[in-house]
Amino acid sequence: MQFGDLVAVDDVSLTVDRGEVVAIIGPSGAGKSSFLRCLNLLETPTRGRIRVGDFTLQIDAGQPAPKAREVHRLRSHFGMVFQGFNLFPHLTALENISLAQRRVLGRPQDESDSRSRELLERVGLAEKALSYPGHCSGGQQQRIAIARALALEPAVMLFDEPTSALDPEIGLEVLQVMRELADEGVTMVVVTHELAFARDVSDRIVVMVSGAILEEGPPAQLLRHPQHARTRKFLSAVLDR
Amino acid sequence: MMEYLGYIAIGAGATVGLTAAAFVIGIALAVPVEWVRRTAPPFVRGLVNAAIDVIRAVPNLVWLFLVFFGMPQFGIVLGPWPTAIIVLGMYSTACIAEILRGGIAAIGQGQWEAANALGLRQFDRARFVVAPQVLRVTIPVLATFAISLLKESALASTIGVLEITYRAGYATQRTGDGLTMFLVAGVIYLLLSLPLAFASRRVDGRLRARFSLG
Ligand SMILES: Nc1ncnc2c1ncn2[C@@H]1O[C@H](COP(=O)(O)OP(=O)(O)OP(=O)(O)O)[C@@H](O)[C@H]1O
Ligand SMILES: [Mg+2]
Repeated sequence: MQFGDLVAVDDVSLTVDRGEVVAIIGPSGAGKSSFLRCLNLLETPTRGRIRVGDFTLQIDAGQPAPKAREVHRLRSHFGMVFQGFNLFPHLTALENISLAQRRVLGRPQDESDSRSRELLERVGLAEKALSYPGHCSGGQQQRIAIARALALEPAVMLFDEPTSALDPEIGLEVLQVMRELADEGVTMVVVTHELAFARDVSDRIVVMVSGAILEEGPPAQLLRHPQHARTRKFLSAVLDR
Repeated sequence: MMEYLGYIAIGAGATVGLTAAAFVIGIALAVPVEWVRRTAPPFVRGLVNAAIDVIRAVPNLVWLFLVFFGMPQFGIVLGPWPTAIIVLGMYSTACIAEILRGGIAAIGQGQWEAANALGLRQFDRARFVVAPQVLRVTIPVLATFAISLLKESALASTIGVLEITYRAGYATQRTGDGLTMFLVAGVIYLLLSLPLAFASRRVDGRLRARFSLG
């Protein structure tokens, strides 16, 4: 995946099992976000193959961009949670969660609203259903955003530094929700700087450096016995903060 | 004397009618124009941009005369009203398209990304995510434009639309009291634009209380 001449993600291949939680860590500019955003085509990779369940989308260099229909089908398999929440400010929490259910899944309003209320309850925000995002704290907004992504019942949830915009204490309430999702068997790919979360919750940690995967492995092993000096340097930098 | 005050005041109907017609045309056409500008290939986009620039660069007075006095040479004769509505309608379209462009640019990248990640189609994204937020940021600008359009409509007096300014001019010729007649005209314009400004602030304040843009 390139920005002009800059190759942001270079020949990265990642297979995630159903129910698995993968944490992607690595220094700033490593291409973690870009890689994540290639998965649901928020960025268009130069070439590559994305396979979810029995749906495959192949992108070849020099070929025309995939058709809108294909892109929508692919995106329906992924839910995405952003660093900056990106809730729709003109819609209430409930409407934020219901909108795509109605317009993408074609659910009738009463059904989508009751589903949205269930999801709000699940992220601990039943009482915020009729609040606008501007009247919610950052942590609450992020939990609403998680509920919004879950509402489409995606096969995989993608998180791009979901707690980086929050103070540590508020971040915990978001991480707690993510822990619960992991326990429920939701498949997740999480770009994060929260090593504790990566250690306790993920099944595998992937280290990205300079647009490529440097190493990967089970958290205990990778955090205690990193194979590469670059990984050690990164880990100690994060731990020293 | 008093009879002329009434005579001028009646022109408010034409002034408001012309302004409203031009504004409604502007909104109705600017939305598809802006859609085309954002979705069409670069060549078409360039044409639309050029048209908008041309419409806005040439004074409305010149457009009025071009259409009113120039078109008959091609066998197209339009009365004062159709001429004024067409010219001010095109002008509104160009200006409102630019206002929409600014409003759309004010919407954060994250909003598009969230809509895309949710799999919203282009139309749904425009209708449910972008449009309401554009409306929210452009209400004050649209109101300001409506007020300037109200004043712009006075130009139609030059081709014989019997609106406020035309009538004040005629009344001046008959009475010789230009001060009174045009003061009256000015006050009527003021009375017409005040409610617009007031309503805009009210609606804006209300929306602002409900949500701020992300
Ligand atoms: N929109 C863009 N235009 C141009 N270059 C970009 C753009 N977004 C990212 N890049 C570049 O691509 C590379 C990878 O960026 P990316 O955001 O994927 O890194 P990251 O690992 O997510 O970093 P961070 O931890 O800071 O979020 C960087 O060199 C970055 O400067
Ligand atoms: Mg990033």
